[in-house]
Amino acid sequence: MFFLRTSPDWETVTYWALDLETSGLDPKRHVILSAGMVPVRGGVVRWGERWESLVRPADGVTVPEDGLRAHHILPGELEHAPMLGAVLPEIDRRAREGALLVHFGQLDLGFLRAAYAAHGLTWPKPRVVDTVELLQKLHHRRHQLTPHPTPPRTALPEAREDFGLPPYANHHALTDALATAELFLALRARLQARRLADLC
Amino acid sequence: MEPAEFLRHQPPFDQLGPAAFRAVEEALEVVYLARGEFALRRGGPRAEHLYVVRKGTVRLERDGAAVQVLEEGDAFAFPSLIGRTSPHVDVVAAEDVLAYRIPAAVFEQLMEAPAFREFFLLDLTDRLRRSAALQAPPLGLDLGRSARALVTRDPVGIALGATAGEAARVMRERGVSSVLVAGPPDGILTDRDLRSRVLAEGRGPETPVADVMSSPVATLEGGASLFDVLMLMLDRRVHHVPLTEHGRIVGVLTDTDLLRAQVQSPIALLKRVASGDPGDLGDYAESLTQIVDSLFSAGLEAARIGRVVSRLNDTLAAALLRNAERELGAPPAPYAWIVFGSEGRMEQTLLTDQDNALVHAGTTPEHQRWFEGLAERVVRGLIAARFPECPGGFMATKWCQPLPGWQATFRGWIGTPDPQALLDASSFFDWRVVHGALDLAPLEDVARGASRESTFLAHLARTALGFTPPLGAFRQIKLDHGGVELKRGGLAPIVALARLFALEAGVSERGTLDRLAAASAAGVLSAEGAATLSEAFRFLMRLRLRDQLQALRAGREPQAVASFEGFSSLERSQLKDVFLAIREVQESVRLRHATDRLG
Repeated sequence: MFFLRTSPDWETVTYWALDLETSGLDPKRHVILSAGMVPVRGGVVRWGERWESLVRPADGVTVPEDGLRAHHILPGELEHAPMLGAVLPEIDRRAREGALLVHFGQLDLGFLRAAYAAHGLTWPKPRVVDTVELLQKLHHRRHQLTPHPTPPRTALPEAREDFGLPPYANHHALTDALATAELFLALRARLQARRLADLC
Repeated sequence: MEPAEFLRHQPPFDQLGPAAFRAVEEALEVVYLARGEFALRRGGPRAEHLYVVRKGTVRLERDGAAVQVLEEGDAFAFPSLIGRTSPHVDVVAAEDVLAYRIPAAVFEQLMEAPAFREFFLLDLTDRLRRSAALQAPPLGLDLGRSARALVTRDPVGIALGATAGEAARVMRERGVSSVLVAGPPDGILTDRDLRSRVLAEGRGPETPVADVMSSPVATLEGGASLFDVLMLMLDRRVHHVPLTEHGRIVGVLTDTDLLRAQVQSPIALLKRVASGDPGDLGDYAESLTQIVDSLFSAGLEAARIGRVVSRLNDTLAAALLRNAERELGAPPAPYAWIVFGSEGRMEQTLLTDQDNALVHAGTTPEHQRWFEGLAERVVRGLIAARFPECPGGFMATKWCQPLPGWQATFRGWIGTPDPQALLDASSFFDWRVVHGALDLAPLEDVARGASRESTFLAHLARTALGFTPPLGAFRQIKLDHGGVELKRGGLAPIVALARLFALEAGVSERGTLDRLAAASAAGVLSAEGAATLSEAFRFLMRLRLRDQLQALRAGREPQAVASFEGFSSLERSQLKDVFLAIREVQESVRLRHATDRLG
């Protein structure tokens, strides 16, 4: 139980909730369109410290318009947005502060790692807390009490609904990051997690 | 809707300009409270944030009883922020809650904006307007009452020649947020003026008060109503209103005073009664009714309201006794003023009648006459406070005797029970000492001995069975003039059963709920039976008090029969369950005490 004693109190850790909007699911073929981050500090979401940015696709890359619309982005908006090379340091600075908080992070982290590699940056390997994993953790715990619990709904809007959280607009990077942060707080309370090690 | 968008549509945030709103958004935090978690604790640290409920419900509680329930869009913690005091209620998540909050410093900046600040005060005016629109205004929240009543301290003054630094020191020493400046011209200087006209302007403590005070001063006559004060504050955008009497300022009312007066304060009445001279108590019953009404409207449980009312009644009786002693001289022997019946059980919610008696340690006929004189004065004082006389004559004027006499009386009731006399006297077993130094342990011992007297208990059981729930042959509720007698049919049987169980168990609890719990702990009553009867008692108390208050609000005398029309369909079916439960317990008592075999 050595690690339990050394793992910090969950409240003392800063969690940067992160969400990326991308043009598709494959980091090799698709690009990051926008990023949103908001921190949980002292167990509280600090909305005032939120950060978001659109990402201008590299020259020669075109994104279909209806793909953009699904992410609440107007085609013209991207023209004046910073390029990925300028956006990555913003993400990097935050990711190094504590833990990264994601909802179904495989996708976002895949894109991020690919972007880091493409820009010759070193991935900082932050601790990652994934709300989908926490949902599963809670499910397993219930499994011990009831023989056949219904599996949790893991899509972000449905999971939030199941925890009595208000509906937000989907597929908007910053709003999804906030939605993830709030879901995290609800899950943390339900799991009665006290230390970072209980969460990742 | 994301946080900023949500708040932008919530009053008073919808009143903020773009810059102020940006300050809110930049300081905004999102918190999650799991069900049962406390956001603030009564008497605990001051609030550090203003909260707005985004999702879920939050309960304001006092001693575990809900005072108010807040829902989406409702703000909390502002009384603590505004008054800079400990929270006066517990704030607890009734279900999982998502809330937005802003730090106190930002809240204070926002309060500089009149539109924002007035939101909290307007809440008050709204209520008044609504009540004025009704034909018969609700009894609570009386902004029509005199503003003078809210003034608790003499005004603090300072000379015109003083400096801002001197004024600040006076304010700190006296713990006030304003000083009056004696002119001419007369003026007023507030902590707000010191901040915005002195500090913010880069001036020093040597600044003459005359340069930064407000003059002329907006004042009101002492006879003005709280509503007048409120309107002046809103119209003139001031937070301090001096009140005058015969051209002299007698005190300063602040907006914080008004906020505090939102709920009729039992504490205020308590203070007035405790220090008061009895000649001034003509409105006691009315004030008490208003307090009961506002406590009930605020969601306080009827059983708890009974405790508040008893505290107030006790204080009144004690004040009357002290005054009488002052007039008659020191008592010739120790005595105890006792109350019984619903007052003894602390279950009187509205002033129904006085049940009191006097026990003394006097030994001579002169002593007896002295105590009768004492009782005479106190009972007269209670009547002057609109405390109705007991129709059965159970008052200290008639029931005044030495302790050994009382022991004999109780032994008589227990040893040779006369059914009719016992019916009248059983409420004496609810006695409770209100005032006086005489130790009544010997009387308690006599009552405790009742647990061994099976004949007495059987008779007591029969009186408890004498109150029958109004149920027909097919378990339906029997209506009486379109209504139900909640007291005779429900409350009285539970009270009598609880008394029987307590005496049987030899426990000294007096309140019905306490008695049921103690009897269950002593094994006289099953835990399930105690829980059912307690629940039934709470339910009936609430229903009855609600019916009584409705009658009073409509300007009618409360009736024994509560109209069935006034109950929801759920309440009707609950009422039937309650009556059935009472009948069931009564049946088991009938068997256990074999009351059928009594002569």
